[in-house]
Amino acid sequence: MHNFVPLFKGEMQRLVKYKILQIAFVVTLLWLAVLFLIGEDSVAQFVPLFIFMDATMMTVMLVGANLFYEKQENTLKTLLITPSGFAALMTSKFLSAIVLAFQSTAVISLFAYFLFDVTVSFGWLFMGVALITFMHTALGFLFTVFVKDFTGLLALLILYMFVFAFPSIFYALGVFGESAEVWLMFSPTHASLLLIEFAYGLDVRTVLLPIGAVYLLVVGVALIKWVVVPKYVETAVKE
Amino acid sequence: MAKTPVFDVKDLRFTYRKSSIEAVAGISFKVHEGEIFGLLGPSGAGKSTTQKILTRLYTDYQGEIMYRGQNLKSYDNQYYEDIGVGFELPVHFSKLTGMENMKFFSELYRSRTEIEPLMERVGLLEDKDRLVGEYSKGMKMRLNFVRALLNNPNVLFLDEVTNGLDPKNARIIKDAIREFKNNGGTVFLSTHLMNDVEELCDRVAFIRRGEIVEIATPRELKIKHGQREVNVEYFDNGKTKQATFALDGIGENEQFMALLKDKTIETIHSGETSMDEIFIAVTGEEVDA
Repeated sequence: MHNFVPLFKGEMQRLVKYKILQIAFVVTLLWLAVLFLIGEDSVAQFVPLFIFMDATMMTVMLVGANLFYEKQENTLKTLLITPSGFAALMTSKFLSAIVLAFQSTAVISLFAYFLFDVTVSFGWLFMGVALITFMHTALGFLFTVFVKDFTGLLALLILYMFVFAFPSIFYALGVFGESAEVWLMFSPTHASLLLIEFAYGLDVRTVLLPIGAVYLLVVGVALIKWVVVPKYVETAVKE
Repeated sequence: MAKTPVFDVKDLRFTYRKSSIEAVAGISFKVHEGEIFGLLGPSGAGKSTTQKILTRLYTDYQGEIMYRGQNLKSYDNQYYEDIGVGFELPVHFSKLTGMENMKFFSELYRSRTEIEPLMERVGLLEDKDRLVGEYSKGMKMRLNFVRALLNNPNVLFLDEVTNGLDPKNARIIKDAIREFKNNGGTVFLSTHLMNDVEELCDRVAFIRRGEIVEIATPRELKIKHGQREVNVEYFDNGKTKQATFALDGIGENEQFMALLKDKTIETIHSGETSMDEIFIAVTGEEVDA
């Protein structure tokens, strides 16, 4: 993990300089405004959903935006010719994405807690968000190295949400029986939402939680090892 | 005993994954300590690929590369403490200032040089606090050069280092390269700018379709490819006239001596060829503008 600290500091500095942190904060404020408009009765239902959206969709978009800048500015390659280890390079990028997600998670959850008494287990929430963001950062990398521009990234993201959201919707509508939820855990979006709902004390089958957590971790690690790293290097060197 | 070369490359071969043609097809050369070694060739000849292999961006090559007597494959990322790389295109974060960029990269190395004197050396000190996105292409290229020197390297890889620079700034960079060499540094230069080659390189290798077709000093190349003749322009009867004489035995050439004695000489040139002409002759292609 040689050079992790300066790399991470650099990532955080660029999140500010490229206004990605500020944009993420504005989006968080928008979530708060919506929660405020929804009113006290339904806030408890929507808070987990907004945190879920932030840790999944926003993560992919912000990671993508960051990487597109790096591709445009040819900076991927110049980092490869430094003594920094590749593991440190990747960890700094993943950790900065998690910090970004933590920012909005903290603001939304504290807002709901203090203004609407929406209680939450902060420990489980932040552990869940870290895991969800980890997996979706890998997904953001994956999408970014395969598409040419930000529009392509958005298209892939919408497709991803669409494909994985449908089974969950059918399940919620009762099309599938309860036993089908085990299989739904193999949908990253379903597994992600379940982890957040659990932190908020909603009625979830706790036996499914470890499956969801391990699944997100395994998919994230597999994506990094077999797709993100080789494609990242290939893209960087090609610049 | 001869000193160990900085690089000793033997039968280097490299093929891109989706290609059946070798991008580098069995090249061998040595780069010695304290020399400026130029790798020249038309676009797609294999220059950049060779540089990417030597900078360990490509590692799945065949053949052998010894760096200071040790196999390059045996080095880890600490290799980058010893080398500096100046890329052909700007490689900076546009929303950070020049100084913020340099500080970020500098912190990644154990050995660091002071940034401000380097910025001053290339004429960027006054602009150090401006965003790189506001820099001109020439300024970005100079910043690339500073970036390459941040870790006080022993070996410098430079790709089209004066591309996009006006003559004044190109001169600053070329002087800095010479200074680096005079302090014992080794330079591996890829370029198509023959003027740079002529001014800087101790030895050059011409590469064509992945193969080295010629390695020599610029002087040796000029002698080999030049015409052994002397061209004289002189003024005679109100007109400029021209005469060509064989260089061999010129001191005994009565006609030439008489011309020097009796006529007003306007210009006199040996038949030395230019590096541009050598490039075309050796690679069979025009020099890119």
